[in-house]
This record gives sequence, C-alpha cells and structure tokens, in this order.
Amino acid sequence: MPKSQPIFPEQAFKPDIIKFSDIPVCQYSKSLDEEKQIYTKDDFLRIYHDMRTIREFEHMLNEVKTKGAYNGIEYNNPGPAHLSIGQEASAVGQAYPLDINDLSFGSHRSHGEIIARGLVAIHKLGEDDLYNIMKNFLGGEVLSVVEKYMPAADNVKALAQNFLLYGALAEIFARSTGFNRGLGGSMHCFFIPFGLMPNNAIVGGSGPIALGGALYKRSNDKPGIVIANIGDGALGRGSVLEAMNFASMDQFTKLWGMDGKYSDAGLPILFNIFNNIYGMGGQTWGETMGFGYAARLGAGFTPTQMHAERVNGYDPLAVIDAVSRKKELLLEGKGPALLDVVTYRVSGHSPSDSSTYRTQEEIDAWIDADPIKAFREKLVNGGIATVDEFEAMDEAIVRRTTEVMKLAINDEISPRMDLDKDPDAIAKLMFSNENKPSMDTTREPQMLMPKDEVPRVKEIKNKVRTSVDKDGKPVSKMRLYNIRDGLFEPIIDKLYEDPTLIIYGEDNRDWGGAFGVYKKMTEAVPYHRFFNAPISEAAIVGSAVGYAMCGGRVIVELMYADFMGCAGDEIFNQMAKWQAMSAGILKMPVVLRVSVGSKYGAQHSQDWTALAAHIPGLKVVFPATPADAKGLMTAALNGTDPVIFFESQRIYDKGEDFLPGGVPEGHYEVKIGEPDIKRPGKDITILTIGAVLYRALEAADILEKKYNLSAEIIDARSIVPFDYTKVIESVKKTGRILIVGDACERNSVMKDMAANIAELAFDYLDAPPVALGSRNWITPAHELEEYFFPYPDAIIDCIHEKILPLDGHVPTHDMGDIAKIERMRRGV
Amino acid sequence: MATVVIMPRQGQSVESCIITEWKKNKGDKVAVGDILFTYETDKSSFEEAANVEGTLLEILAEEGDDVPVLQPVCVIGEPGEDISALVADAQAPEAEKSEEAEKAAPAQDAAAAEAPAAESMPAAKSVDVSSLKISPRARRLAEKTDADLSRVVPTGPNGRVIERDINRLLDLGLTKSASAEPAELPVPAAAQPVASAAAQVEYRDVKLTSVRRTIAKAMHASLSSMAQLTLNASFDATKLLEMRAALKERAEKLGLPNITLNDMILFAVSRTILAHPDLNAHYLEEEGVIRQFTGVNLGIAVDTERGLLVPTLFGADKLTLAELSAKAKELIAAAQRGSVAPDLLRGASFTVTNLGSLGVESFTPVINPPQTGILGVCNITRRVKEVDGKDVFYPAMGLSLTFDHRALDGAPAARFLRDLSVNLENFDLLLAR
Repeated sequence: MPKSQPIFPEQAFKPDIIKFSDIPVCQYSKSLDEEKQIYTKDDFLRIYHDMRTIREFEHMLNEVKTKGAYNGIEYNNPGPAHLSIGQEASAVGQAYPLDINDLSFGSHRSHGEIIARGLVAIHKLGEDDLYNIMKNFLGGEVLSVVEKYMPAADNVKALAQNFLLYGALAEIFARSTGFNRGLGGSMHCFFIPFGLMPNNAIVGGSGPIALGGALYKRSNDKPGIVIANIGDGALGRGSVLEAMNFASMDQFTKLWGMDGKYSDAGLPILFNIFNNIYGMGGQTWGETMGFGYAARLGAGFTPTQMHAERVNGYDPLAVIDAVSRKKELLLEGKGPALLDVVTYRVSGHSPSDSSTYRTQEEIDAWIDADPIKAFREKLVNGGIATVDEFEAMDEAIVRRTTEVMKLAINDEISPRMDLDKDPDAIAKLMFSNENKPSMDTTREPQMLMPKDEVPRVKEIKNKVRTSVDKDGKPVSKMRLYNIRDGLFEPIIDKLYEDPTLIIYGEDNRDWGGAFGVYKKMTEAVPYHRFFNAPISEAAIVGSAVGYAMCGGRVIVELMYADFMGCAGDEIFNQMAKWQAMSAGILKMPVVLRVSVGSKYGAQHSQDWTALAAHIPGLKVVFPATPADAKGLMTAALNGTDPVIFFESQRIYDKGEDFLPGGVPEGHYEVKIGEPDIKRPGKDITILTIGAVLYRALEAADILEKKYNLSAEIIDARSIVPFDYTKVIESVKKTGRILIVGDACERNSVMKDMAANIAELAFDYLDAPPVALGSRNWITPAHELEEYFFPYPDAIIDCIHEKILPLDGHVPTHDMGDIAKIERMRRGV
Repeated sequence: MATVVIMPRQGQSVESCIITEWKKNKGDKVAVGDILFTYETDKSSFEEAANVEGTLLEILAEEGDDVPVLQPVCVIGEPGEDISALVADAQAPEAEKSEEAEKAAPAQDAAAAEAPAAESMPAAKSVDVSSLKISPRARRLAEKTDADLSRVVPTGPNGRVIERDINRLLDLGLTKSASAEPAELPVPAAAQPVASAAAQVEYRDVKLTSVRRTIAKAMHASLSSMAQLTLNASFDATKLLEMRAALKERAEKLGLPNITLNDMILFAVSRTILAHPDLNAHYLEEEGVIRQFTGVNLGIAVDTERGLLVPTLFGADKLTLAELSAKAKELIAAAQRGSVAPDLLRGASFTVTNLGSLGVESFTPVINPPQTGILGVCNITRRVKEVDGKDVFYPAMGLSLTFDHRALDGAPAARFLRDLSVNLENFDLLLAR
C-alpha cells in the first residue's frame, strides 16, 4: 500500500487480455556433437561418476534396508532411507553449474543432491580451501576419521570425496561423527561449506525456507542463487505456494530500488521441482493435482511465468542446460524461476513401499530408461569413453562405498552420541545462548537517515517514561512512553547496529504494524530491510528461518497470535528445531512477534503461549510493562535463539508503573527466563503471565483491603526458559500460589507451572498450586469477556475456593470440585 | 449471642499491642469487614476488621491501652443483649477469658455445603489425627512447633487443615508437650521438690538439712507404706474466676483481704470434705481405726526456701472466706519466713497443694501420712463443651486427688471430687450456705 503507487479505477477497470507465453516442455535437443563443444571428456566422465556414486550409495542403503547387508557386510539401519534411485541425473545435472555461493535447500529425498553438489564443490574448490573446510568442520572430527581409517587418498580431492560420503553416511546412521553429529539423520543432512543447506523432512518445508535464503542474498547483496528443491507432491502445500507468491512480489523490482538508490533485482530463487510424478503414492500427474505439467504453475505467479519450463530429468545434460540458464537469469535479477524436472523414483517412497499404486510394467519401463545406463551407452557409442573405463570407475565406486560403509557402522570409530557420559549432550544444543549484538560487524547498516532524525525517535524523546509525572498525576496518553515505545527502541537501535537485521510481516511498513509498534519508522529504513509481506504466515516465518540459517537476524510479525496456526510447521518444526538438528552449526536469531488480541472474538483473542512453550527449542517471552518489553526485546535481539515474543493488545498503551525512575533510556537487557516481583507480599503469591498482571494487582488490592491479605505479585515475563528460584522462594514464604494467565486453562502454561511448583515446593505448600486461566471455550464478544478471561473477581473466588477461604467472601464463580469435574467430564 | 473481639496475635513473639485508634464508637452498627480499631506492635501497624455484624456493645480497652494478645478488646452483639457475664469475664485481667470462636467463612460450593459449618475453635475432644487432611506446610509447621493436631479445626478448602489452623493452635498454646497459659494462682506451695536438671561432672555436696531429711523420710514412708492412687478431674472455672475478679475489684471497698483462687479452693474443700469423712481422716492401722475428724484442719503445702512446709489451718470449716483467706496468708507468710510454730506444722486432717501457677496440668501429689488424701490443684486450660448444641469455650481448672486405697475406694474418692467440682462451679451458692 505504498502511496507512491496509487491505483485508480480507470486503471483497474481497463479492458485487457492476459496473455501467456509458451512454456517449453522437454525442448532440449542438443546433439552429442554440440555437447562435445561444451563438455570435455573429463566433464562427461565426471557426470557419469557422480551419478554412479549416488546410485551406489543409495543401492547400499537399499540393500541394508531390505536385506540387512551390503556386499556381505551386515548392518541394521532402523532409521529412514528415502531413496532417489532413478533421479540421479536430475541431481547431478542441477549441481553441475552451481558453486558454493549457490545455496540449495532440499527435501527428505536429498541424498542425491548432497553427493552431487558435494562432488561438484570438491571439483571446483582449490585444494587448500577444500582442506581447510574439512579441517575446520566440527573441529576436524569427521576429517580425522577419514584420514585415519580410510585407505590413503591420492590427493585432497579424493580425500574430500571420502569425507563427503563418510560424513553423509555417518549422519544417516546417526553417528556422532556425521555432518550433524547424527542429530539430523537421513532426511536433514546438510553441509553448508559446499552450499548444501538443510534438507527438510516436511514435504515442501524447503519452499519458504529457501525463500528466506534468497531474501538473505537480496537484502545483504550476497553473490549466488538459492534453490528450493521440492518434490511434485510439495506443490500441494500451501507454504510452498505462499513462498512462490512471496518470491514473486512486485516490490522487489518496483519499490526496493528506491529510485536507483538500491538494487531493483528480483529474488534470486529457483523453485526446482524434482517431479517424480508421485507424492508418496499419490499421482500428481493425473490424480492428486490438476496442473498436468508442474511447469504450468509459473504462469500463475508472475508475468514472467517464473521463466518456467519442463526438463527431461533423465538427461543430465538437459538439466545442466536448464539450470545454467535459470542461474544466469537469476543473477541478472530476473527471478524468481521455476523448473519442472521430470524424473522417476524407481525405488519406493521408502523401503516399506510395496508400490500398490503403480504397475510393475511402469516401473520396468523406467528401469529400462535408466539415466545412468543411457548416459554410459551414449558416451560409449559416441566414442567418448570405453566400457573398460566405465567398469574401472564402477569398481572404484563400489570399493569406496564399501569402505565408507564399514567405517560408518563401526561403533568404535563412528560412535553414537554418548548420553551416558554426557547426559546433557542434546540439552546443550537446544539453545545457542550466544550474545551477538551484530551478525555481521564488517558492514555498516544501510539506513536512510541518522538515528536521531528518525521521526519516532524524536517523538519518544519528548515522552514521559513513567506512568505518572513528577507531581504524581497520570501522564496523558499522548505523552506517555508506552509498551509500543519499549518495543520500538531496541528495534530501531538494532537496525542501526546489525546490518543483517531485516523486519517484515503483514502491514509493517507504512502502516507501522497493525498495532503501531513500527509507527514513524518507515522513513528511516530502506525497503530491503523493512517491508510488507503478503498475508502468508507460513512463508513469513519459514523465510525468517531460512534467513537466519544463512547468517542473518530477522524480526517477523504475525499480527495476531491466533495466526500462529497458519505458520504451524514453520514455527514448531523449523524455527524450533534447526539449531539442535544441526548439532549447533546453525543459529536461529529470529524474533517472532505475535500479539494477543482483545475485543475481537474467538479467532483474534487467543493466548497461545502454551503451544509455543510445548515445543522444545523456542524461547517464549510475554512482557507486560514498557521496561520489560524493552529489556526483553533487547535480550531477544542480542541473542542467537528463536524467540516467540508475545505482546498483548490490551496493554500497548500502558506506561511504566513499576520502575520509579521510569523506563531507562540506555541499552539494557532483561534476562530471558527471569521473573520479576512487581509487588512484594507475604500471604499469597500470584504469578502472572502477560497482561493479566494488571488484573492480578487489582485483585491484590481487594485482598489487602477486604481480607487483610498481602499478595506477592510476580510477573513471569518469560515462559521458556523460566527460572523458578524466585517463585519457589516466594512460595516458601507465603505457602500459597495462584498462577494466572489469559490462555485457556486446559494444558496451559499456568497448569505446567503449577505442576512444577507442586513438585519443587511441596513441603512448603498450604494449598495446591492453582492455575487460573480463561474458560475452555471460544472467546466471546468483548461485552462478555469478563465471563471468559480471569478478572479480579475470578482471581479472588479462586483463592477463596481453592487456597484460602476468605472470611465473609461470597464467590460468584462456581469453582468447586464438583463443577470442575463436571466441566472436565464434558470437555469444556 | 454476643461476640468478644480479642486482640489478635501478630506473630509468635508479640505479647501485647497498643490500641492506636478506635474507628467505631460504643453503640455503632458494624458490618463484616468494618475496621473496628487500629493497633500496633513495636514493628508495625494493623487494622482489625469485624468478623460479625451487629452493634458495638462494649469497648474494653481505650486508645493507648497496651492490651495483651488474645485478651478481649470489645464486644459486638445485639442492642439490649445481656453481656454482663462477658464483660465481667473480660475485665478479670488475671484470669483467662473464654473466647468467641471466629466463624469460618461458610462453605460456598455444593460439595462443601453439605459439611457442617466449621468453627475455627480447637476441638474439645481430640480428633483422629491420621484422618486429617493437612497441607504440607501446615504439617511442617505442626511438626516444628509441637502443635497438638488432635485439637485442630480445619478451615481450608474441603476440610483441609491449613497453616492458619496450626497458628491458631499455637496462639492458644495448644501444643502436645506444653500447656496452655497457666492460671494465675498466687499459691506458693509445691507439693514436691523440683528435681535438679542436668547431670554435671563437677559437683558439690550439700549437707541434708533437717527439713530435707524430714521431708525425705515422710515422702518415702508415704509412698512405701500406703496404697496411693490419683484421680484427675476438672471443672468449669468461669464463675469462680468471675467471682474472684468481682471480689478483687471490691476488696478495698468491702475491707476484704486479697482473696485468691487458692483461698477459694481451700474454702470449698473445707465445706465439701465433711460429707466425705474417709478423706478427712487418719488411717491408723496399728490402732485398727480410721479416725474421722469432725472439723476440717487443712494442711497447706508451701514452697519455701528451706523446702516444703505444710502448715495447718485449723478449723477451716468454721471460717468465713475472708477469715480463711487472712489466716491462710498469715500461715503461708510464716512458713516462708521460717517462723511458723511447730504445732502448726502437724495435725492436718487433709492437705491441699497447688502447682497450677507453675503450669502443671495434672500430677500425683504425695499423701502426708497418716492422712488419707491430698488434693492437687492444677492450672487452667481452655476447653470446649457443648451447650445447646454449640461448642462453648470455657476455662477448665484441673484437680488431682491422691487417696489411700487402704482407707477408701475409688468411687467415694471420685464422689468427693465431683462434689468439690460442683461446689467450685457454683461457688456463690456455696458461699450462701
């Protein structure tokens, strides 16, 4: 909605015809003679070698899976093995024109891409660079196994090939000497120094994540292209379609250039569909999709039709040709691009696949067309190499595969992570816990004006940083430094500190965020660092994950917490898990801002802290004061972990009620995980999560006045991590605790905390720790909210009924045991 | 029924609080939650809110008064209600007053509503501790403080004993080992010498005095030659305390001596025992008789510097209360000075000994042969009895009667105790006789 691009009715209603240009389908037709002009004999043989290496590697895995042995070496691999036998030409063809600046994100079926890209990188890198990469990777652990136990390699390149195959296989067999210490496994293996970004076990998972990689390239002006390797089945995933649409946004070319100041290139991303015609067993060409050729999709997203074409994925040279042309387009700023690489998976979806969905006749026909066999015949027939040469090559490949396997299954040489010796080995990887104020200290952040000229910064300078003025009078709303300002300050500071920081989400620019946190900031930040995303929550969060994987810091916003459901996989499977799944290789400096609504009914008022807290790997905070909002945002932005930053629309206008000196002006952190006593007391502890703090304070006033009880109010501030020390100390003193939050009570964070406190302070308790949340209903209209959310009356009733009967108190809510059991029996 | 508001105990170490301001005047209407008065300890200030509604009928302490904790401060009730007993009771500063129980909040939910409304008043009858639901914190506190859980009244949700219930026990002194506040009985005697405590490696020999030798011989002879056993009972000391307070208040005006509770007990014994001649007697085995006395010569055990002395108050049954009180004082003073005439140290027909001021709840006094009985007077504890279906709190004074089973049987001895208790509970009637 930039004002620079007004849209008038005559333009909107102007008669026109949408014209499509032709989409090429398997149009590659170079003759061998022509190809000989392009490729040397070595090139031809290397292409064969790489395909054959993949084939043997996967054949070995298939033998282990189906027969329990390869070449007479027995092994049982209980883990997954999604093989791509038949797809080798597609992988090798794609890898051929790429270098290590090009990043490819893959799928659960990506062994082929790992080997193909790895072998190409080894071929292209200098020996010194190559050796340093291996030596510096995981402290040289993988390299030392290969150097010590494999037959001596002739040269660094041969050593690196051993390194690649061993690192990948050890990872597949969950060995601590694998590329990700065995924590990723077959479906998630990756090796960044060769441009191999994480592969993803969620179908289409790499769609939005690769988008983030492309944003990283684009916003930070980095060389190379990004490839999202997804299957045809992934075209049914909304997140993939979101990513394609996001990557196609007009603003990259129309707005980001800012009148020549910056680049106006399209995103350098290739959505590469390894189209093996089946999504598991669902036939995408004839059954579960209607596009026929997957390449057709390109026409739906951009006037360029994403430069889409369909390529014969059984012909490595056709694929090389297509990928080379796409790469060139992308580097020219004409992205995004789409390739429909037709191939076939002769192997089943997994070893348990009995191919009930396809005929043997079909499989046999594809086996006949085997790309490796065909390519070899072509080279032999074309006089490029002899059968003997190929057989020698085959023999060496089998020999090396056997050696690698022997090594990877050796429990002494390739042990699994020792959780007896180090029970915390995985726990230590869940968070990186680094303090890294800038992800790239070598560059100056690109901004449009000095910080002190930013309109919002000037505005805040004139604001009062406490809720009451010097005379004790409440500060007027307009002059009050509020929670929005508390969030804004560290964000603007970080924009001027970390050149990699980008900020996006729905209605972030111009509008200033739906709730005004980014108000009057637009003027200061170039588009490529601060922009509006389409209403595509999965792509917003997924791309943030990819952006962070590449080394950038990012703040994304989902407007309402309720929309987390739209980005479920990206939050719960991607953002949360990659640090640990990568054995700490990846960092995830992503702050995901979500706002808990109010007054907007059932789909816009939910506190979903419990969902975020349940998934290991996410930090979760929920500040309720301007000072805490600032301190926690500062901590989140200095850290390297993913933080779900809950905010509440009820209290954006709140000033600082607690710090006598007001919100400090300088830089400070509130430690994530540290609760805060907002009001000391001695008779009962009330632990609050989020905006309910203020209602708990009201309840405390009533308790004090009417019942002579002094309540200690503790604001949790953080949910994960959470230091219980202060809370336990408080409970030891008071003997009683009520935990209150706005989330629906069942399975809430409050319930979890209550259970933990019962364990940790049992002997000090005078009553069970009681959790009070909202009812297990839909959120009703604003006028009825007091029946739903915990208000002071419910807090006092709860204390009276469950913890400490209050003299003369007549409760208005039925919180008795019978009513409770009945409600639970009915599931409400 | 009117409610006496007491000074709350703000912490275990607080013994009294100063009333800083009355927020209500006598005759004012009060609602639940209304602040009645403010008060302070040396550390902090508090407000006391009404727990019942009604009219402030009496104010028993003024602003600036230092009121011992748990002592009455005011009375709330219905206008016109007779509160004289309560007020008299409240104004007897040396004695313990009965407290009105604070009403626990009526249970509200359906489950709790079926349970009878509990009153946060320690149980008279002991409850089965093993069946109690007790919060971990309350249990910890009880263990740490020795609170007597068998007396606890749960006020937590669903009948759970919670921390405040234990604190209430402690406020009332209801611990397993210790006693409640001792009755302030200005009685000097102790029937038995107090044993010295810790064994020491270093020591000094103290020569036995003649008094010590006499006591030793008498006590040993007593226990080795007689068939002694002790009965314990208690009586409601409410009226006795009221009267004692009334007498004290009017002592000067009426020209009375300071009549103590012990005097009153001696008086009651002297009037009761004649109907139980086997206890007002000497058991003389060699002569083959029980010598029943026609008058009452009361031995009064007195704790002196030199040891236990038991001067005799001859003809106690003939003396008025005032005379008895005056004579007893003389005797006790003489014994303590060591100037009591030897003739007055023998010839008693029955003896009374009092350890109540030392907090003793019950004991086994040793008979002075050849007498057939000795009455031990114990302290006052607070107990509950059921009156008209309601539990009522009252001060209970303990009595321990040791008698010689050779001279009489258990039932007659028990009857004496019962009669004595009745007379003590109706001391006014006894006086009128």
